[in-house]
Amino acid sequence: MTRKSTLSFVLIFVVGVLLPLVLRRYQLNMLTEIIIFALYAVSYNILLGYAGLLSFGHAMFFGLGAFITAISILHISHLSFWICLLIAVGTTTLVGVAIGSLLLRLKGAYFALLTLAFNSLFYAVATKWHSVTGGDDGLSIKRPVVNLGFTLLKINTVTAFYYLAFIIIGIVIVFCWYFTHTAMGQTVILMRENEDRMKFLGYDTSLSRLILFTFTGAIAGLAGVFYTLHFQFVSVSAISLDMATTVLLITFVGGTGTFWGPILGAFVYIILQNYLSDITDRWPVFMGLIFILMVLFIPGGLSKMILSAKDRLGGKREGSEVMEGENA
Amino acid sequence: MSDVLVFFLHGLAYAGLLFLVSSGLTLVFGMMNVLNFAHAALYMLGAYFSFTILHATGQFWLSLIICPIALFVIGACVERFLLRRVHVFGHLHELLLTFGLAYIITEAVKWLWGNYPLAVNISGYLNGTVEIFGLAYPIYRIFIFVWGVLVSLAMAAILFKTRLGVILRAAVNDNEMVNALGINVPRLFTGVFAFGAALSGFAGVIAGPLLSTYPGMAQEILVDAFVVIVVGGFGSLGGALIASLLIGELQSFGVLLFPKLSLVLIYLLMSIVLVIKPSGLFGEKQ
Repeated sequence: MTRKSTLSFVLIFVVGVLLPLVLRRYQLNMLTEIIIFALYAVSYNILLGYAGLLSFGHAMFFGLGAFITAISILHISHLSFWICLLIAVGTTTLVGVAIGSLLLRLKGAYFALLTLAFNSLFYAVATKWHSVTGGDDGLSIKRPVVNLGFTLLKINTVTAFYYLAFIIIGIVIVFCWYFTHTAMGQTVILMRENEDRMKFLGYDTSLSRLILFTFTGAIAGLAGVFYTLHFQFVSVSAISLDMATTVLLITFVGGTGTFWGPILGAFVYIILQNYLSDITDRWPVFMGLIFILMVLFIPGGLSKMILSAKDRLGGKREGSEVMEGENA
Repeated sequence: MSDVLVFFLHGLAYAGLLFLVSSGLTLVFGMMNVLNFAHAALYMLGAYFSFTILHATGQFWLSLIICPIALFVIGACVERFLLRRVHVFGHLHELLLTFGLAYIITEAVKWLWGNYPLAVNISGYLNGTVEIFGLAYPIYRIFIFVWGVLVSLAMAAILFKTRLGVILRAAVNDNEMVNALGINVPRLFTGVFAFGAALSGFAGVIAGPLLSTYPGMAQEILVDAFVVIVVGGFGSLGGALIASLLIGELQSFGVLLFPKLSLVLIYLLMSIVLVIKPSGLFGEKQ
């Protein structure tokens, strides 16, 4: 870890810990939601930005994690929070392996299309299987008590739940960041750039892709766990195509070129959604317009825009990085 | 026995509709390598335009002519002014663009016409029944199937009997070579995309009286049309035809035989085809 990134992690951590002191209740609620969607988007970006796999089916993992959480809390009495996490992440991992080995046989647009079809399958099952998922009515739950080893933490207040989400999701996001810097993460990027060459070098590219797909699925499942706990409710909308496209919007608005882009995207998306839905019921139209304009004019997303603005303000010109490299 | 016949005919009607939607989708995909997510949204737009025209004039045939023309123009504009701009960024961006369009169209439809189903009623002989083996069957469903057959015949005739068809088939194989031979491929793309849009608009007009017109209709048929393309093989018109019939009948008999599983059946079929032959029944290249 470089000194600069360690410093930014520490800074973010301190700000995150102090924020509940200054924010109002509803703002803290919104911040928790942002953190959950940031994790969902970070996992999606590893798939889209790092591996170049466009999926319209990420909600099947998110929704599965959300539903497994609700179902296990309702059916197992005195369920520990940690066991609940384990069950949800374990299930999404297994499903990720099964679905991944089927879908990853195809690439590009074919893969995109299949993820969409499978997400629809999951949605259809969730809607029809009324006795387990509650169908259109959804499931209401109570948050379990978290056993920290030395003490029991009740997470039924906004602040307590925020701290839980912030710390666990924070650790997982740092882990994701670490993952993209491991040999495995770098392999995936190289595979996106030139798969044949990686094959010649002796890498098992389909295995790497399956591991990556499963990993992102499990992370999205974890985001789903927190989604259910946050709203204390889950319905089929968690596993719907809308949820799958939401994460695409978030990730794309933030930018797929950087690791932190999707986190920025989650902030912008959730705040914009809250703001727009206050002034108009037609906010999805405006979100759609923003999305199209971004595809047309800022294909790199907000993070790309910020980076180039920073370059310009810093007095650097385009291509300056190459020149620095030569001087060094 | 009569049950089986009724469900068989229902299946044919839905197959006709599915073919009208998926043939345009597969044609655009084969030519331009663009998976058009907005295709079903254009179909929905056709249905809503038709609703408005029917509401104003009561002329079904009129909307059957006007809506495809309107959708042709919209399709041409989308290709010329939006898709072509992002073409340089690659397929991912083209896909995202059509996805964004679908999103906006769906929301705009909710805005303009309301987020509830609208009933489309047709009058006259199309509303009647016809006797088949002693069974009174609605003419309209047969009408849909006939259109499916007519369009598939017309497309086959164009593709295999005309000069345009030769160019189109060549462009599917290698559009750079066709471009080098002095044929205006960008204009060809605009034409094909607009034609696909017109076809889906046509399908939308026809679907209106059969299924009701509502904002979720696009997503519903989109997934079915995608399954048709996967099963039939990407870019293959013949495959789309066979797969439409297969899925149409499967949907119809699924409701009769396994009412609880009917939604899952087509995904099951798709998964089986994928495991056995990932490129689809009639697909050649991946």
